[in-house]
Amino acid sequence: MLQLTGASYRYAGYRNEVLHEIDLRLDDGEIVGLVGPNEAGKSTLCLVASGLAPASIGGSLRGELTIDGQHTAGLSTHELAERVVVGFQNPNTQRSGIAATVFEEVALGPMNLGLEVAETVERTREAIALLRLEGIIRRDPTRLSGGQSQLVGIASLLAMRPSHVILDEPTAQLDPAGTRLVGEALRSLAATGTSLLIAEHKTDLLDGLCSRIVAIDGGRIVMDGPPATVFDDPRLVEIGVEPPSRSRLSRALSGGGFDPSVVTDALRAAS
Amino acid sequence: MARRLVRISALLTLPIAISVVLVSVFTRAGTHVLFTIGPFDATVEGVDFAAQTLVRLFAISTSIGLFGLTTDPRSFVLDLERRGLSPRFAFVAAATLESVPAMVERASVIASAQRARGLDTEGSIRARLRGLLPLAAPVILSSLTEVEERSLALEVRAFGKPGKRHLLWRMPDSRTQLAVRALLLLLLFLAIGARLTGTLPSIL
Repeated sequence: MLQLTGASYRYAGYRNEVLHEIDLRLDDGEIVGLVGPNEAGKSTLCLVASGLAPASIGGSLRGELTIDGQHTAGLSTHELAERVVVGFQNPNTQRSGIAATVFEEVALGPMNLGLEVAETVERTREAIALLRLEGIIRRDPTRLSGGQSQLVGIASLLAMRPSHVILDEPTAQLDPAGTRLVGEALRSLAATGTSLLIAEHKTDLLDGLCSRIVAIDGGRIVMDGPPATVFDDPRLVEIGVEPPSRSRLSRALSGGGFDPSVVTDALRAAS
Repeated sequence: MARRLVRISALLTLPIAISVVLVSVFTRAGTHVLFTIGPFDATVEGVDFAAQTLVRLFAISTSIGLFGLTTDPRSFVLDLERRGLSPRFAFVAAATLESVPAMVERASVIASAQRARGLDTEGSIRARLRGLLPLAAPVILSSLTEVEERSLALEVRAFGKPGKRHLLWRMPDSRTQLAVRALLLLLLFLAIGARLTGTLPSIL
């Protein structure tokens, strides 16, 4: 379990806090979606929940982060990395720059953990299979498309086999097929007990994947509940988040005097 | 390959070579004056010294160029790590070697983007100089941002964890390569010995 309690964060050199009194809990095997408009604090929340802020980037944190019951204050970044990993939006900066092939790129994390070669290879193969990257394992990581780079970046994190995964817009550069692939991989990962926090603008992905949605605005959590409840809440549109197509269709049907539950139930069954 | 190597070596040597030739030819004291420009005398001794220095410079730049053309930097750095180099140092070395082509690529993308916004980067020298700042500033700033994000991404993958890493592969190293390396090392020591004892002239 990963838990933030009363967390407020201020970047180094800034006067104002960008996160305010955040209470967030990720249970093992739970997938939580994080939505909010631009500049709402999603990326900062990802950094704080992963422990990188303030452990690596500095700044000051009030409140606390506990991972599997252990307080993270004072833990080094590599100690944090063995428990929680975070993936960033730009796949180019996820790349190490020192791996000659995709396989070596994915293997870098397990190698850094000091694992034996056999264990590293097993984890790497597993992560590659999960994201169906077998066809490009010999390719140069610097010569991949944006979508492929993003998948390799996610595979590199999954190969670490962390207990908790935080992803900041993991499908930003992916087409619908790639987005579905990532969704399936994350669902499989959660089934093994890994908890996931996914910050995403693609609410359709979150709607089918998450058991809970957290909406953030101005650095504060403004909604927290099951996807149907949060996505159907009219306040979501007011803060600038586009609800998933299911919610929009449901709203349009209601507006036209139809019973939306028939269609939404059919959509749920189909998905 | 040979032509490319000579071109690279010449390019590496050229900036230093110009200053070496000017300084050596015109300021080296000597008895045989070839010609005079204002207060400066070009001497035979100066030309001789400049020629010796140029040969040395060309030999060094050719070695660097040959190494660059024949060795994959990532393979080189990983092999050094296998031989005991710290992973952090290996990363810094690899990142340095990789940063030049990455920066050239980024500069090209930014130049295209700025041209699309109407920036003149292909006109007169004055126009090109004017366009330099709108190109340089984003290249430098984006490079700095990327360095920060990349270091975070590496930390997430436990890069800072102390202790030995078990590398996945080792570079093929045949007996022939080993023998050639030993021979080259022997030649190096022989050359140093010969130079110190005066058997070889100073030009070598």
